[in-house]
Amino acid sequence: MNYPVWDVPLIGSTWVIGAIAIFHIMISHFAVGGGLYLVLAERKARREGRADWLEVIRQHSKFFLILTGVFGAVSGVGIWFAIGLASPQSTSALIHNFVFGWAMEWCFFIVEIATAMVYYYTWDRIDPKQHLQLGWLYAGSSWCTLVIINGILTFMLTPGASWLAVSDTGQEASRFWQAFFNPTYWPSLVLRTLICCALAGVWALLTASRISSFEKPALKTEVLRWSARWLIPAFLLVPIALAWYLSAVPEHSQKIMQAGISTIGSGMFTQVTRAALVTTMASATILAVVYFLALRNPLDFTPGHAAAVLFLALAATGATEHAREMIRKPYTVGQYMYSNGVRWSEVAAFNEDGFTTHSPWTATQMEKGELMFRGQCMNCHTVDGYRSMRRLLHGRDRRSIANIVNMLHERPATSPYKNFMPPLVGTPEEVDALVGYLDRMENGRPSGAALAEKR
Amino acid sequence: MATSSFPESDSRAASGGIYQWIDERLGLSEIVALARHKVVPQHKHSFWYYWGGISLFLFILQLLTGILLLVYFRPGKDAYESVRQLTYDIDFGWLIRSAHSWSANLMVFAVLVHMFSVFFMRAYRNPREFGWWSGLALLGLTFVFGFSGYLLPMDELSYFATKVGLQIPGMMPGIGPLITDLIRGGADVGEATVQRFFALHVVVLPLLFLPLLGFHLYLVQRHGNALPPAEEARPVAERRSVPFFPNFFAMDLAMWLIALNVVTILATLYPWGLGAPADPLTPTPMGIHPEWYFMSQFQALKVVGRLIPGLTGEIFGMVTFTAILIFWAVIPLFDRESNGGRRARITAWVGYLLLAGMLIFTIWGYAGL
Repeated sequence: MNYPVWDVPLIGSTWVIGAIAIFHIMISHFAVGGGLYLVLAERKARREGRADWLEVIRQHSKFFLILTGVFGAVSGVGIWFAIGLASPQSTSALIHNFVFGWAMEWCFFIVEIATAMVYYYTWDRIDPKQHLQLGWLYAGSSWCTLVIINGILTFMLTPGASWLAVSDTGQEASRFWQAFFNPTYWPSLVLRTLICCALAGVWALLTASRISSFEKPALKTEVLRWSARWLIPAFLLVPIALAWYLSAVPEHSQKIMQAGISTIGSGMFTQVTRAALVTTMASATILAVVYFLALRNPLDFTPGHAAAVLFLALAATGATEHAREMIRKPYTVGQYMYSNGVRWSEVAAFNEDGFTTHSPWTATQMEKGELMFRGQCMNCHTVDGYRSMRRLLHGRDRRSIANIVNMLHERPATSPYKNFMPPLVGTPEEVDALVGYLDRMENGRPSGAALAEKR
Repeated sequence: MATSSFPESDSRAASGGIYQWIDERLGLSEIVALARHKVVPQHKHSFWYYWGGISLFLFILQLLTGILLLVYFRPGKDAYESVRQLTYDIDFGWLIRSAHSWSANLMVFAVLVHMFSVFFMRAYRNPREFGWWSGLALLGLTFVFGFSGYLLPMDELSYFATKVGLQIPGMMPGIGPLITDLIRGGADVGEATVQRFFALHVVVLPLLFLPLLGFHLYLVQRHGNALPPAEEARPVAERRSVPFFPNFFAMDLAMWLIALNVVTILATLYPWGLGAPADPLTPTPMGIHPEWYFMSQFQALKVVGRLIPGLTGEIFGMVTFTAILIFWAVIPLFDRESNGGRRARITAWVGYLLLAGMLIFTIWGYAGL
């Protein structure tokens, strides 16, 4: 049950969250891996007495501060706004269950932001040893933000039996750590840490590519090669970590992952498999470009190449995050809350008492069918754009629409939508109101059986 | 005790020995020396040199994915069902089919870009006339590949689009109906047509295409990359070039990698769908049209038909097309002077007009759907 007044035409609220989140992940993972990159690069340059390299790191730290401190922070706040509007129930559930977790997250975040600024503004102003210590403090605190948020993100996919046993009893806080260290926590943490290091390398390639091949060939070669090596752990270990992660996800999520292997059938989330293929192709191309250019022929590596690698990294990140979100369907919190905000435990009550009676938006403010649509469908569907209802219902009259809606409501074992879509809840009268609303949406007026009854 | 591992020097010697063994029999060193010796001009239009290689790569993709499709495709009455299985039942069948379809379309696009870039760089002039003619023949075969492959799924769209497409040869005065019947294998598009198109697509066309491609590549190797007129006018000392191997070859591979990414992204994000089975008894659906690379010709014929109705219009349309094709083919004989002149200017204008005409009629065709 969501705010039914928030209507995002064409892209839907899903992609408002998706677009901000993908952008944020590209930057926030850089913020984590980049901290380690900066401090290790500085340590190496100082040990070897490389003033020219230190200058490159200083420039990189400025770029790093602006990108993570401004765009990372703004997009992070943007996610809060977006999820608060699109999924207030889910957001509320996460806040209430992880009050202590969020408190820790914000503490680490404040330390992270503060040290990033101090780190940049104290170049050559404090003792090099102290500057390095600042760098380590930044790297540690930024990684800790990942450690915390990873617990909350993975909880959404696999809250774990222990927490589920006490959910909706008021005792949820007693299982905080079980929920936090849930079944996918560790593989996800390893995966994300590896990706953070890889993205630190990718962003560093962008800075290093701007060093002149004619004026400073030796410096460019060294910095590019050293930065390119940051991608190696990810390419070697991600396949192992991914296999570990996939072994821990629920069986129905694995089925969604594999749904697109044999078919392109629509309505069955086959795009998840295809998104995984985009990730694979983009990653393989990054590997080829980084190996043949940045490692083997660094002087030929231009900002254009670095931008291409960055774009491919964005494509891989976007596709992977999209797939990760999709395999959670039909839940936002596995086996606890469906993607339309209805709790698993509320289904029977809503079917008995009515969905709209529990809505803060009463039927007097909005027609019941529309309220049902906005409350239960619009989280994932739009009228004319992404997952368009008009396209999905194209050519159907009222009777045919009623068949589908009733299938979603009754959820027979044969329903092809059972594994991907939440149950449609409500009394028979509400379900009928939704059918009427969808019929008018698709056909512009009552059609088929309804028309015959009227006549 | 015997050791199972080779010392490093031994392994190098072993690999060197294998290379030497192969080299003595196949002459690999000569090929590498030739590739190192060959140079490719570098100038502001060098980007267009890559389009021949991109076309070749997409053709290789066609071969590979086409062979995989052959494993499951059944021509004749099962054609639709076998493509349905490929798209909706068989593991990664949809990927192979989508990659085949997308790379086919991209190949047509790449070949067209290659042709116009060769044209505007005047790369058809002496001694590259046969390169131009063999290239045109390859383009023609590419079109026939596309046309014959489009029907094979036998869904509603491909069936009616083929019917519409066959109207073009059918308009040829006198022999048109005969040729159309021969292509169709009967009075209408049906199972016999699929069988014929299949034989054409997987046997006849590759048999023609591959030796012609070999000849085309031999000519490229023999004459090298042509310089555009502006570059040719520069003193030799000011011209720049890079070795074909490894410099240009590495860039070629990079272009192939980009092409592979484009094909993969299109095939995965926009997989090739399948419509309802073809039903000859249903009326032709609204908006049926041929593939995009035939759209300009289709639209031009429609316009001519409106302006000059009846047989006169059809004859006028076909005669005009034939005249353009003949002129396009004999351009190397018409525009021979390397230092410009009136004929060079006429040729350039013909090229601009043809390119603009193709773009305008294609857009017009889609806008009118």
